[in-house]
Amino acid sequence: MIVKFKLDGKLVQVDVDPREVLLNTLRLKLRVKSVKRGCERGECGSCTVLVNGNPVLSCMVLTVQADGKEVITVEGLQGDSLFKTLVKNFAESGAVQCGFCTPGILLTAWAGIVQGRIKDVEDVKEQVANLCRCTGYVKIVEAVRKTLLEVNAGGQY
Amino acid sequence: MPVASTSYRFIGKRTPRKDAEAKVTGTLKYTNDLEVPGMLVGKIVRSPYAFADIRRIDVSEAVKMGAIVITPDDVPQRPFNPRLVSIEEVTYKDTYVLTYKPRYLGEPIAAVAAPSEELAQRAAEAIRVEFEKVHEPILDPLEAMKPGAPKIHEKIMKGGKWIDVENNIAARLDYEEGDVERGFAEADLLLERAFKTGKRYHMQLEPKAVLCVPEPGGKLTIYTTTQTIHNTRILVSQLFDIPASRINVVKVPIGGSFGSSIQTNYLVPIAVALCLKARKPIKIAYTREEDMLDHSNFVFHFKIKIGTKNDGTFTGAEFVNVLDVGAHQVQPYPLLGTSLGWFVSMYKWKNIRYRGIAVYTNKVPGCALRGYGAPEVQWAVETMVDEIAEKLGLDPIDIRLKNYVGRGDIFWGQGPTVRSVIKSDGVPELLLRGKELIGWNKRVHPDEKKGRFRRGIGVARGFHTSSAGGPISGEVIDYTGCILKLNEDGTLDYITALQDHGGGTLDAHVKIIAEELGVPPDLINLATATTENTLYDVCTHASRGTYAGGECARRAAQILKQKIFEVAVRILERVVNPDALKIRYDDELREAVVYVEGTNIKIPLREVAKTAWQRNWGTLVAAVTYRATSAPPSFTVYFVEVEVDTWTGKVRPIKVVAGADVGTPINPDMVEGQLHGGFAMAWGMAFSENTQYDPVTGEIMGRMLITDYKIPTAGDVVSPEDFIVLLASTYEPAGPFGAKGLGEAAMNPAVGAILNAVYNAIGIRFYELPVTPDKVIAALREKGGLEW
Repeated sequence: MIVKFKLDGKLVQVDVDPREVLLNTLRLKLRVKSVKRGCERGECGSCTVLVNGNPVLSCMVLTVQADGKEVITVEGLQGDSLFKTLVKNFAESGAVQCGFCTPGILLTAWAGIVQGRIKDVEDVKEQVANLCRCTGYVKIVEAVRKTLLEVNAGGQY
Repeated sequence: MPVASTSYRFIGKRTPRKDAEAKVTGTLKYTNDLEVPGMLVGKIVRSPYAFADIRRIDVSEAVKMGAIVITPDDVPQRPFNPRLVSIEEVTYKDTYVLTYKPRYLGEPIAAVAAPSEELAQRAAEAIRVEFEKVHEPILDPLEAMKPGAPKIHEKIMKGGKWIDVENNIAARLDYEEGDVERGFAEADLLLERAFKTGKRYHMQLEPKAVLCVPEPGGKLTIYTTTQTIHNTRILVSQLFDIPASRINVVKVPIGGSFGSSIQTNYLVPIAVALCLKARKPIKIAYTREEDMLDHSNFVFHFKIKIGTKNDGTFTGAEFVNVLDVGAHQVQPYPLLGTSLGWFVSMYKWKNIRYRGIAVYTNKVPGCALRGYGAPEVQWAVETMVDEIAEKLGLDPIDIRLKNYVGRGDIFWGQGPTVRSVIKSDGVPELLLRGKELIGWNKRVHPDEKKGRFRRGIGVARGFHTSSAGGPISGEVIDYTGCILKLNEDGTLDYITALQDHGGGTLDAHVKIIAEELGVPPDLINLATATTENTLYDVCTHASRGTYAGGECARRAAQILKQKIFEVAVRILERVVNPDALKIRYDDELREAVVYVEGTNIKIPLREVAKTAWQRNWGTLVAAVTYRATSAPPSFTVYFVEVEVDTWTGKVRPIKVVAGADVGTPINPDMVEGQLHGGFAMAWGMAFSENTQYDPVTGEIMGRMLITDYKIPTAGDVVSPEDFIVLLASTYEPAGPFGAKGLGEAAMNPAVGAILNAVYNAIGIRFYELPVTPDKVIAALREKGGLEW
């Protein structure tokens, strides 16, 4: 069946099986490879995307559920100023190691800050529940905290 | 010898890594992100039984569906060992690409390929496997090695010859030095303890994947998740009788590894076999469940006895190491050696006796996992040293300082045949400064603690080797190579087969080259690397990437520098000879310049490069193959404060002081990153990580879901301000600019420190991992005397 949604700012139309999960539509049909396949069981967070602004695990969402909605991946946030700050702090804080979990974590953190759910270190530790095996999370928490300080200083969010 | 880090232009500075942008923007392609036209997707048919004999495999339905199908009849009938690090004489081979006799639940027995994952899955499910006999799985190595136990393997190959397997013993290593009985007789205290670890799963975020592409002329190009492109090529070449020159393995970024691709993962030869049959590109990407069936760690069963005099001097030690290797060998023999090496390199035992036995069971084959036995050995030893100190009324730090193997002593980098003399040693500095930072003096005896939440402080020390190098060629292969060339505009291409698992190893190489040549790191290109355009590198393992690979890069830069000088004197006509020249980064020009000290003669490297090109002087290039002649230990010391909830049995970290002697830190950000990650992995090893097997079916319980294999999350670790990193001010003469490795040392002693802290909180020692909340509660109840 035909599903239409906005992907990273562009309207896309794609023919999908009703049982198809958004992860596979994005990766295999729309070739968005920044959305990573880590477990396909809703456990690791590597496939996180934003649907209408909310972080969801794309392996747990049917593509038909995205019909008429807005789907955002890291590719769609490259021009966003908060995202740029976040990315800069991830790079400068050494919060990136193998990089496989990074796009999912960035999206989770970005949405949390935008929605006002992530305000301090404890919020980061609780809400950025994506798995990372390299960093021990310390520098990820540090990078998000630095971003919070910078956006608060700028009165942005 | 030691050079202050402040005198370096790039080394020791915090700089964002070169690949950070590609990673944060998601543009970096991992193996499963690659696609080629006409590609088929492969799926593996796995054994539903842990130990069985197959009568026949009916593929007719799958073939009717149009799938390409392979069974054991379509693959080479010769055993292999997926890991190549030992020399051939001590390489044991017992694995087949596909088998009629599965020895663990999930062992590949057939494979299919079809145009989509769904069609491949349907074809795989259409294959009918008829079993001759299903055997009871043998899951306990101590049962497996009893005489009369059913044989998991009858015959395996060692050094190219068939050998019989006796009592399911896969490999042995015994060793003795001095007179242990005399040592024990001289002791005032004899302490004997038995330890057992969990069977941990690497849980690297990227599941294993492979893409095998047939090329004209019978050539194959292989893209895969690997720590070693060269050993992957050699293995495929040997297994399928294809000349190495017709196989090209491409280095692809890898989403973490921790040892899980130290071997060629099982899907690689399966994809090659499918590719040879289909003559089409084949991609296989594991699901998470399949990944858990592909690799996990060994299970360690230790019995350790230590003799100590009243003054804290050790007099002898006996170490029995029974390794549960699972159903196939991924080189447990060298692990028997390294376990011993880690043990003897901890403390001066004076007299030692070792018995190492690797035993088959019907479990997922065990492979290396960060530390290669060191986290296990150091947990056991540091638990006992803590206990000995307490029994003798000695300070836990004093007893360690008194006995540890340090500067001037012999270090066993990777087992008995890899030995070198220790030249750099930051242990006293780390122990004494760490003690202050954790607040050691406020530490009180567990009996003085009351209430539901009890806090404790623990210490443990350890190390890991930097590479498996040494002055003598032993049983382990370890050398590397690289190519460094000056481009026509003064930029550089650096080409190495050495893989970066994510820790930033290659970023360190770039900084090392930058330092040697004064060229800004962003002008040094980390070139695409394949087996056909790189020199041999054994593998990124043994924490050798920065130390051995980095020194290779430095030497290449040194040679290139000489060539640059030879060319520069042709341009700078008044300069008498190349020895008069130097090179540095010029802050004003913001580029590398060749100059004569004490004069105003200087020329940008860019101009030297351009002139050499324009005047046909040839390419300036260095190709270096490098073997390190020592394997220096990177010492680490952990001080940890924890809080035990005596109602729930849950433990949480309060404060961590991670001390590391890495010699010169190339990038402190990445040094810290290793320590943070190492500590988190140790936390999981201590409290949660274990793939438990159903005793009846031999299946991993929880159906291989990571929900049931809990690794720490952001909520389980301390906040950044409570994680203190302490770096020793040492300089390793054999390392590039004084640097040593860290990846494994970052984790090794942490479990010991964590559980010594648990002891200090509640007065209970645990000898079996993981220490899950139910074990804590049970132990607290047994101990009694709880006042809430």
